[in-house]
Amino acid sequence: MSAAQPSDAKRLVTLTVNGLERSGVAEPRTLLVDFLRHELGLTGTHVGCEHGVCGACTVRMDGEPIRACIVLAVQAQGASIETIEGLADGEALHPIQQAFREAHGLQCGFCTPGMVLAVQSLLEENADPSEQEIREYLSGNVCRCTGYVGIVAAVQRAARKLAGAE
Amino acid sequence: MWCMLERVKPPRFRYCEARSVDEALALLAEHGDDAKLLAGGQSLIPMLNLRVARPAVLIDVNRIAELQTVETNGALRIGALVRQRRAERSEPVRAGAPLLGQALRFVGHPAIRTRGTIGGSAAHADPAAEIPCVLSALDAEFELRGGAGARVVGASEFFVTTLTTALAPTELLAAIRIPAPSARARSAFLEIARRHGDFAIAAVAVSVELAEGGAIERARICFANLADVPYRAHAAEKALRGARIDDERAVREAAEAAVGDASPASDLHASARDRLDLAKVLLRRALGAIAAGGSA
Amino acid sequence: MPDRPEITGTLLQKPQYVGTRILRTEDPRFLTGRARYTDDVRLPGMLEAAFLRSPHAHARIASIDVSAAQALPGVHGVFTGRDLAAVLAPFVSTVAGRGGVRPLTQHAIPFDKARHVGDPVAVVVADSRYLAEDACDAIAVEWEALPAVVDPEAALAPGAPLVHDDVPDNNFAHIEFASGDVERRFAEADRVFSKRFHHGRLSPAPLETRAVVADFDRSTGAVTIWTSSQTPHLVRSLLVPVLGIPESRIRVIADAVGGGFGLKCQVFKEEAVIPALSKLVGRPVKWIEDRREHLAASVHAKEVISYLDIACTREGRFLAFRARYVGVNGAYQAHPWTALVDPMTTAAALPNLYDVRDVAYQIDCPYTNRCMTGAYRGVGRTPGTTARESLIDDIARELAIDPVELRLRNCIGDAPSVSATGARYDGGTYRACIEKARAACDYDGFRARQAAARAAGRHLGIGFSPYVEPTAWGSDMAKVQGYVASEIFDAAQVTVEPDGSVSVSAGLHNHGQGLETTLAQVAADTLGVRIEDVRVSMGDTAVAPYGFGTHSSRAAVIGGGTVMRAGTEVRRKMARIVGHLLEVSPEDVEFRDGAAQVRGVPGKRMTIAEIAAVAYFGGARRPPDMEPALTSTRSFDPHEVWPNGCVVAAVEVDVETGGVRIEKLWSVEDCGVLINPMIVEGQTAGALAQAVGGALLEELAYDENGQLLAGTLVDYLYPSSTEVPPMEFLHVETPSPVTEGGMKGMGEGGLSVTGAAIVNAVADALAPFGITITRTPLSPTTILALLREARERRAAPTAA
Ligand SMILES: Cc1cc2nc3c(=O)[nH]c(=O)nc-3n(C[C@H](O)[C@H](O)[C@H](O)COP(=O)(O)OP(=O)(O)OC[C@H]3O[C@@H](n4cnc5c(N)ncnc54)[C@H](O)[C@@H]3O)c2cc1C
Ligand code: FES
Ligand code: FES
Repeated sequence: MSAAQPSDAKRLVTLTVNGLERSGVAEPRTLLVDFLRHELGLTGTHVGCEHGVCGACTVRMDGEPIRACIVLAVQAQGASIETIEGLADGEALHPIQQAFREAHGLQCGFCTPGMVLAVQSLLEENADPSEQEIREYLSGNVCRCTGYVGIVAAVQRAARKLAGAE
Repeated sequence: MWCMLERVKPPRFRYCEARSVDEALALLAEHGDDAKLLAGGQSLIPMLNLRVARPAVLIDVNRIAELQTVETNGALRIGALVRQRRAERSEPVRAGAPLLGQALRFVGHPAIRTRGTIGGSAAHADPAAEIPCVLSALDAEFELRGGAGARVVGASEFFVTTLTTALAPTELLAAIRIPAPSARARSAFLEIARRHGDFAIAAVAVSVELAEGGAIERARICFANLADVPYRAHAAEKALRGARIDDERAVREAAEAAVGDASPASDLHASARDRLDLAKVLLRRALGAIAAGGSA
Repeated sequence: MPDRPEITGTLLQKPQYVGTRILRTEDPRFLTGRARYTDDVRLPGMLEAAFLRSPHAHARIASIDVSAAQALPGVHGVFTGRDLAAVLAPFVSTVAGRGGVRPLTQHAIPFDKARHVGDPVAVVVADSRYLAEDACDAIAVEWEALPAVVDPEAALAPGAPLVHDDVPDNNFAHIEFASGDVERRFAEADRVFSKRFHHGRLSPAPLETRAVVADFDRSTGAVTIWTSSQTPHLVRSLLVPVLGIPESRIRVIADAVGGGFGLKCQVFKEEAVIPALSKLVGRPVKWIEDRREHLAASVHAKEVISYLDIACTREGRFLAFRARYVGVNGAYQAHPWTALVDPMTTAAALPNLYDVRDVAYQIDCPYTNRCMTGAYRGVGRTPGTTARESLIDDIARELAIDPVELRLRNCIGDAPSVSATGARYDGGTYRACIEKARAACDYDGFRARQAAARAAGRHLGIGFSPYVEPTAWGSDMAKVQGYVASEIFDAAQVTVEPDGSVSVSAGLHNHGQGLETTLAQVAADTLGVRIEDVRVSMGDTAVAPYGFGTHSSRAAVIGGGTVMRAGTEVRRKMARIVGHLLEVSPEDVEFRDGAAQVRGVPGKRMTIAEIAAVAYFGGARRPPDMEPALTSTRSFDPHEVWPNGCVVAAVEVDVETGGVRIEKLWSVEDCGVLINPMIVEGQTAGALAQAVGGALLEELAYDENGQLLAGTLVDYLYPSSTEVPPMEFLHVETPSPVTEGGMKGMGEGGLSVTGAAIVNAVADALAPFGITITRTPLSPTTILALLREARERRAAPTAA
């Protein structure tokens, strides 16, 4: 096969989002977060800085948390993406979502989708994290509203729920 | 750090994915200076978004499997494309380069390390970065591949200056080799940053080989952010040879000697003077931690 | 404004919901990604805008060539300041009725010169933000650099470069105030202590930046504006003269807003530019501010230089306060509150809860070539409190009096009183909160721990900062804060719908404060319905009654008051219907759980749905003189409301690295009746965290040429979960006598005073070194420099 030739033409990107196959058109320079929000209409993922620092755009790609503002949409070709829209089961909130509500882990809600997905990864990797582990894992997800008090409590509560203890 | 322009979307560029090293090299040969390799993108894409980097061509190497292997064969060989998060969790990496394992925790945040690569951080050559500092401390070797063939360079040759390495525009970093640690090696990585996960104001990577009874046979010490490249503290390494690691006076003297001719930058977060002072404190504390058996 | 009749508040009787930790009703839509922020608005044919902004602090625009940009495919228009001036009138900013203030006329986009890094010079409308940025790249501007004035005190000096050619001394306002005989007190005092404190420059930096979508409809001449605002009606009213569109044809929608913190209670030029662009290009236009624009060109806040003198007796009794405040504004005026929002409110809070009758201050508010300053949670109080409280700790050290004791010695009594600056305190628990804080942090235990740690070479410190603070901005509060001619109120509409469910509509805005829940709690208790049956909506001027939005800790008090008033009217009407139908006195009808019950007669009962059916469709079954429907709109403009509290910080300072680790923060707060303690604690936690940022991390530093050094989030450091410490919240609940429901308002105190507590804790930790803290943030560099200076000072005499 001859080497691919670089091009700036728009292309079709096909990927799985929250379990469903979706496609859309992207320029090579289109950021994944813009593709999800504006091409696929999944506006639950937010944008707070567009330079990789705030964590608002956190989604999961092939099971791992990533920042959708510093990944190109074309790089997600064939990938499996999870966004906040896929977490609840119909009307029933996911235990992490429930825990955020019960522990007052959100105020304006802007950081919340990214935060919740980061927490999902944290708890998959470490089902019973200490407060220090929680704080360290989430230190890349900025919340300007809550002072993290409710968020840390929500993670602890979610861990108990997922362990079946609550 | 970045100039003031209000831009947050990448400029137009041509893009393609290379499926093999040879394909990547062919593309580099063709587009040379106009092209940039895209690895984890965790440094490059922010720079594109802010339009401080404007490459005409982006060659995505993420799908090249041969760059993603971790091998141990005496030395540890880490493919350039191995993700930082994977390295952090990898048993062979933790065993073959404990210092790297210790330092990775300080590199950004989990969601950055899931994309960011070991080789990308080395190739990016930010003097404040942890990975180049550790690789320098460990006397790592860098396997470079270009159209003209492969070559291997040491850390002191690889890191040239801020954001500049020995890589030619037509070359790619294929892997990093780290010599096997001695059974008597102990290491510590300490850093001071404004917040957890930020680039270091100053950091130190220390690996010492201890004789029976605690005398230092060999010390390897490297600082981040004390110079335009990782700063190997040769004077301190020499001063420590033969000293006992719990000899506070020797340690203090070595720390004083450590920063030698370093001339760090001043910025919003620390003055040059602070960086020099902090480096000494870090080295003392790192040696103290090793002496206390806190770090392996 | 003449004095208004006294308001005496009423308390809710036997509340079922108020006072409980009800979970937030608004949460599910945020947790599932369904909330609609401005960037989520998508309209057919919508275009996107990007601004080209100045890279220079001060430079004349010699020429702009937009032709190349205009020619790019996908570009629908490129507009300069001059182009926009043809369709937009300028903003005129001032403080009405206040002497010593020089109004400023400001164009939406300047066309003579740029006055700070980030000042807009042109705006592009294109198919996408990507293309709009490409077009910005293609605009050629020829600049003639001018000398920049960055230092505020240099700006006031004769001969300084002028930011506005028609403001000869660069000063927006000079204000003086004196009460009592300050100079005599100073002359008589045993001791006089002085300090210059330079508070750092901060950004409210909500996680959602500013955002505007405008859709101008040429067929009706009406415009709909979605904007990320805390004050939708204020946006509408203030845009009328600028856009030249009648208020009835402007609809402002602020649906979900990702944090505001005061920043979004201002009306921005971009909020006028985007509607103008929609009119010019004939299509909807969206502008999403990026983070760098936000940091460089929205508003900055809290940078005030305070010169403070305290006269006191040997025993530490404060006799007089004298201050001069320099509010470090940038190049423009944040509309409508202006840059005085910091220094003027700083000054108004000078005596705070200290019993000092002789108080004088002066204010200057110079322009500099930086981003303008404006409101950020705890306006004014943060810098002023930090200056005053840190000087008080200096005094305590100097006089060898315990700092908590010194504060208690000078604290006002609990009864309502009038301060030297004219504040009418509604009574509180000023001393009790300090004492409660002292007990909560185990002050004596901490001192013992501190002594032991010091002996072991570790440096622990503790700092207190008590306060009384203005909340619930209505007309009286605005006046005492210096906005002498403002009338500020809010209105709410409470409706029992024909099916018995309840709609509440308010002119406030909910962007994290939990208002949809707290107002529902108040409505449910006022009407005696189940909270699930109440729906609260806000944020759309086409629906909501007029209001001033959510800021200045006003929403719960004023919103709660309006809902109680309107709800009470509706309940009375329902009681009349029940009384009429069941032939009892309306006074004997009680409402609970969605039903009316005649007191003492168990069988006599009607559900709200039954009553509503009669109210809307019952015709002759209603009392003869009664109009149909069950709705009321009422407004509320409370007297001054002053909650109080005390924050304590415990820290450890690493004297080798300059690192500060906060062990813990305690907040004791008396904000009157708590509607929802969970929400109150959440608000406090957020404010405390922001204060941690301001005290230790965040700083919008400029270099001497006016270049912004913290232009990205790599350098502007939000506190993250690893820097914000654990916190403990304690409550005291003293109902306000002057509000409906006894609420006092809260949300800002934490940010107003926690920085001072942290500064004091650090100073306490470093007391053995003899250092004095005179600025924030306390970055490692600042602390290392202080320690170095102290060492050098000590070494000096021996060397000489
Ligand atoms: C918010 C944030 C915080 C961060 N914090 C830290 C931190 O604390 N410490 C730290 O060290 N880093 C930090 N990083 C950077 C991160 O570690 C990056 O992953 C790393 O610097 C670059 O690796 P990459 O794989 O992402 O490379 P890319 O961004 O893809 O590439 C970086 C540069 O290296 C070149 N390059 C990449 N791979 C190769 C190769 N194989 N051969 C030749 N050239 C190559 C690219 O062309 C480009 O010029 C942070 C990043 C972000 C966004
Ligand atoms: S928007 Fe992606 S990290 Fe901030
Ligand atoms: S809830 Fe507002 S940013 Fe986290």
